[in-house]
Amino acid sequence: MIDFVQNTLDGVMIGSSYALLALGFTLIFGVMRRLNLSYGPTIMIGAYLGTLLHVDAGAGAAAVAAATVLGAALAGVYVERLCFAPMAAGAGIASMVSSFAIWMQLEQAAILVLPRHTYAFPPLAAGAPLTLGPFLVRLDHATMLIAAAALATGVYLVLHRTRFGLGLRAIVGNPVAAHLVGVDVRLSTLAAFALASAVGGVAGYLVLAVDQQVTPMFGMWATFKGLIAMMLGGLGSIPGAILGGLLLGAIEAHAQWYFGPHIRDLVTFAVLFLVLVLRPTGLIGEAPPAEAAAYGRA
Amino acid sequence: MLEVDGLVTAYGKIEALKGVSLGVERGGITCLLGPNGAGKTTLMMTIAGILRPRRGSIRFDGADLVGRTPAQIVAQGVALVPENRLVFPQMSVRENLLAGAYQRSDSGEIAADAERLYERFPRLRERREQLAGTLSGGEQQMLAVARALMSRPRLLLMDEPSLGLAPIVVDEIFRIIGELNRDGTTLFLVEQNAHKALQVAHRFYLMEQGRVTFSGTPGQLAEDEVIQRAYLGTRRAAV
Repeated sequence: MIDFVQNTLDGVMIGSSYALLALGFTLIFGVMRRLNLSYGPTIMIGAYLGTLLHVDAGAGAAAVAAATVLGAALAGVYVERLCFAPMAAGAGIASMVSSFAIWMQLEQAAILVLPRHTYAFPPLAAGAPLTLGPFLVRLDHATMLIAAAALATGVYLVLHRTRFGLGLRAIVGNPVAAHLVGVDVRLSTLAAFALASAVGGVAGYLVLAVDQQVTPMFGMWATFKGLIAMMLGGLGSIPGAILGGLLLGAIEAHAQWYFGPHIRDLVTFAVLFLVLVLRPTGLIGEAPPAEAAAYGRA
Repeated sequence: MLEVDGLVTAYGKIEALKGVSLGVERGGITCLLGPNGAGKTTLMMTIAGILRPRRGSIRFDGADLVGRTPAQIVAQGVALVPENRLVFPQMSVRENLLAGAYQRSDSGEIAADAERLYERFPRLRERREQLAGTLSGGEQQMLAVARALMSRPRLLLMDEPSLGLAPIVVDEIFRIIGELNRDGTTLFLVEQNAHKALQVAHRFYLMEQGRVTFSGTPGQLAEDEVIQRAYLGTRRAAV
């Protein structure tokens, strides 16, 4: 029983960063109704900017964190301009394929600039783990959970308490109607992309600070974790992204404990498969709202 | 107030508007009738800036609207209540109204306007915290109208406001259209209910296959003929 609770605790703390990855992913999906496969690699670019500052200039944790988030946001803007803004409505496949191409481009660019396989990443919170009765909590895990909770709350407040958030939710609800009430849909979409990529950047920073190293494969890793967590919870749903992330973390922790690291991902994919068969919209996702049928028919 | 001249809007190679010219007079109710596929919704979407015309001009109080973004057109004082209402389903009624005022920054006045609209639409007040997607069709139509009014338009465009609604709700919608007009809003509406439209219209146009084929005042053309042309077009074979 103690093992079970300890594993769940560890899993949920790691899962909080998956939740952030899924949150960024789902923001983009909600606003665009398109998958951005380059989402993870944009975060990797931020992380590489961070590690470059760390390795070359000896930058500390705060500067590396800022560089990671800013780099991810800028790379996100680059992807939006290249893969999403120019593609006409209804050309979702074109966006997805081009975001895959940019994934490869970003990965190769990272390898060209920093050719070694791994680079050091500064740790976030070193020190002895906290003890909670019979349970242990790593300091960096606890920091991860707190930062993720704070950021998710912040994103929620932006979406529900600001004019910018109102505009974004209008776009999610119905893009044509959002235009009609006067939302600058192009600008808001770009800003949403930057915000989502920055959220991903924070998640990436928290994960890498725990791992204390970064490789070019981190982009793929982040896209996978974000995508799986988002699909578990439900495409385009923010509570779904949070739930999916935490659940994914817990499933991984248990699977690793009972079956070992090699079987872990198999269990994860099996759970995803089951969820999608039983509830194709994810655990708390809803079917996407019907498109504006009137429009385009005229 | 609104002058549309030689407007051509195309989807790819297909021209949905083949040179449309018409005018909307300040203070009046202008109706546009015509069969499905005539290009009525395309015209509305082009005026609102959602679609870009190939040629032609749209002048609103002297300013050219062609090439402006939908947001700029809303800021100029033109709001469209779109076909099928298109309310924001996962937002509450209150938030839908707030979104309607997106272009405005006078928050005190926005709250006062919302209050006035709740007076006009008591059903919306009852449901102000309810998600718009859970409203009935008629309530959604009221909400779509109220949302458009939140931008304080001088010209209100309405695309098929009675579509798919029960007769009693249609009566309600047309009562509101009359009220809005008496309160000083200029209206330009696309309708498939020709009978109702001719009762409120000061002026009406018939549109068929991307062209305006008749322009006049109710009474100038027998209602039978209007209805026939509005539903079926002049060339029946084309339907």
